[in-house]
Amino acid sequence: MKTLEKTLWSTWSRFLTCLVGAVLIGFLVPILTVVLVSFQSKSYLSFPPSDFSIRWYEQFLGNTDYQSAIWNSLAIGAASATLATIAGVCTALAVIRAAVPGAAVVSVLSVAPAVLPQIVLAIGLFPISVWLGLQGTLGAVILAHAVVGLPFPFITVCGALSSYSSRMEIASMSLGANAFQTFRLITFPMIRAAVVAGFIFAFAASLDELVLALFLSSPTTRTLPLLLWEQLNFQVTPEIAAAASVVLAVTSLLIVAAILLPRLGKDK
Amino acid sequence: MLQMPRRSDTSAQNSSVGGAAVSIRALSKRYNGLDAVVPTSVEIESGDFFAIIGPSGSGKSTLLGMIAGYIDPTAGQIVIDGRDVVPEPIYRRNIGMVFQNYALFPHLTVAQNVAYPLKIRGVPKDEIARRVAESLGMVRLEAFAARLPSELSGGQQQRVALARASIYKPSILLMDEPLGALDKNLRDEMQEEIKRFQQEMGVTVIYVTHDQQEAAFLADRIAIMRDGAMTQIGSPRALYEHPNSRFVAEFLGEASIFPLKSVSAGRAGEARQAVLEGGTPIRIRTDAEAGPGSFACIRPERVTVGPKAKALDNAFAGTVRESLYTPGSIRYRVELDGTGLSLKIRVLPQADMEFYEAGSTVDIGWSADDMSLLKE
Repeated sequence: MKTLEKTLWSTWSRFLTCLVGAVLIGFLVPILTVVLVSFQSKSYLSFPPSDFSIRWYEQFLGNTDYQSAIWNSLAIGAASATLATIAGVCTALAVIRAAVPGAAVVSVLSVAPAVLPQIVLAIGLFPISVWLGLQGTLGAVILAHAVVGLPFPFITVCGALSSYSSRMEIASMSLGANAFQTFRLITFPMIRAAVVAGFIFAFAASLDELVLALFLSSPTTRTLPLLLWEQLNFQVTPEIAAAASVVLAVTSLLIVAAILLPRLGKDK
Repeated sequence: MLQMPRRSDTSAQNSSVGGAAVSIRALSKRYNGLDAVVPTSVEIESGDFFAIIGPSGSGKSTLLGMIAGYIDPTAGQIVIDGRDVVPEPIYRRNIGMVFQNYALFPHLTVAQNVAYPLKIRGVPKDEIARRVAESLGMVRLEAFAARLPSELSGGQQQRVALARASIYKPSILLMDEPLGALDKNLRDEMQEEIKRFQQEMGVTVIYVTHDQQEAAFLADRIAIMRDGAMTQIGSPRALYEHPNSRFVAEFLGEASIFPLKSVSAGRAGEARQAVLEGGTPIRIRTDAEAGPGSFACIRPERVTVGPKAKALDNAFAGTVRESLYTPGSIRYRVELDGTGLSLKIRVLPQADMEFYEAGSTVDIGWSADDMSLLKE
């Protein structure tokens, strides 16, 4: 009986291991394919690659369209992630600490941009951005990406605030610190890792966002994913694979940073 | 009524740091139409150690929160040294507060935690260093200055919280169940430490706890709260010996309590004839008015067991139902023959004393002066 049970368990766990392995491979193969095909000299996407070359990377880096798109993406990412983080921290404080009326509604609304179809958001934001006179400017994309990025800092900071009692802030105020001093000296240091992680996720979300950029930007405010998309419609060369690989590398680095930074904070 | 000596009697010695007098006037709090604290008034003298006890939900923490300033009162005043502080935010009240779970800042070291209130007040760096060292010395934690709170034991964290809440010499120290998270031995040790600390500082302390023994050990005066009201305020001895209600009698110490059917007429303070529900006649002291729903109360250590009991005002023959020898005391539960009433009894063991096993018959009795009349 015992041995049968043991055999069943080990079979089951082996099956699960294989399943997880298969899923991971399923995810990783297309990603790795992009990276592999970017390192070849042929002028079309061929798989498996027959040689090794960094010519498409050189071309990618020398391309002024890509250069301005990278610059736009970084600027939009930094600005929108900053906005999203400030808004996310304030909203999380209101929801978790101030127990404002309608806190549940505010939470749902703050998380919604991560779940709702972005096309809906884009269709809604387009007339607003025209009305505000922002259409085609960096500002329009920054605001839209701030909306898309908001859920990340909101969720991470809510988690950090829920992990300790509001007694900390009350204690600080009982010791003579006003609300601002309490935020600066007590609350912020305790949620810092969550703020940084939220910022990084918002930044990464902006970096690979396409739909909103498609609706809201102009040729001068083109982001990197938008340029890639335009290029795909026009001609498919390994240069696109090189550009995609660069986006992938930057995003991966950001996510690794988001995971490692809180740990570094703890060691301090 | 006998009173314990008050801290204020000796506060002249500590005039440099003396505590503030607190006057709570018709202070109340309603949440969603429910009274958390009904309008409550109490005067707390300068240097007093004032404990508030009561079951959970009795409003004691709400009251403390209003004094500290993190709960807004619905109405009423909190006058500290002649000034109503209700309109003032928590950080301007200059009150020290010690929380149940210490609320030490986890990202700051022990020394930084203790320095925090001084840093906020813009005290120069070298003075902060000197006063932090002095304060940590007072709670015997000099060696732990550079540690994080998470590296300290519960008792040590509590002492850091005490040092942090007192380093800026607040005139009032509020404590919300500060020993609630500690084990029994540590709690006893910390009680003595808190008492010593308060006497050295001369600070006025308002101390919330649900532990009646802790309150009796520490406090000059105790307020017992129930359903948002202070049902009785007095010294530990006054509350124990002259409880004004069944609730107070049962909350503070043990008691055998019987419903009364009738009490004969007589002057206040005199022993009178009374009849318990069920028809048993007894003699009782009456400093309160008897009314419907009155009770007779006798404390377990006021009952005499053995032949001497026959001479007392209330003398009964009884059968021992439970007997228990514990270090320092013998406990009995005795049923009074022919009445169905049962009494809790506690006697101090003496060298030649007889120990009654369960089932034995005994004479028990008590003086009318020891039996008090209680309202519900």
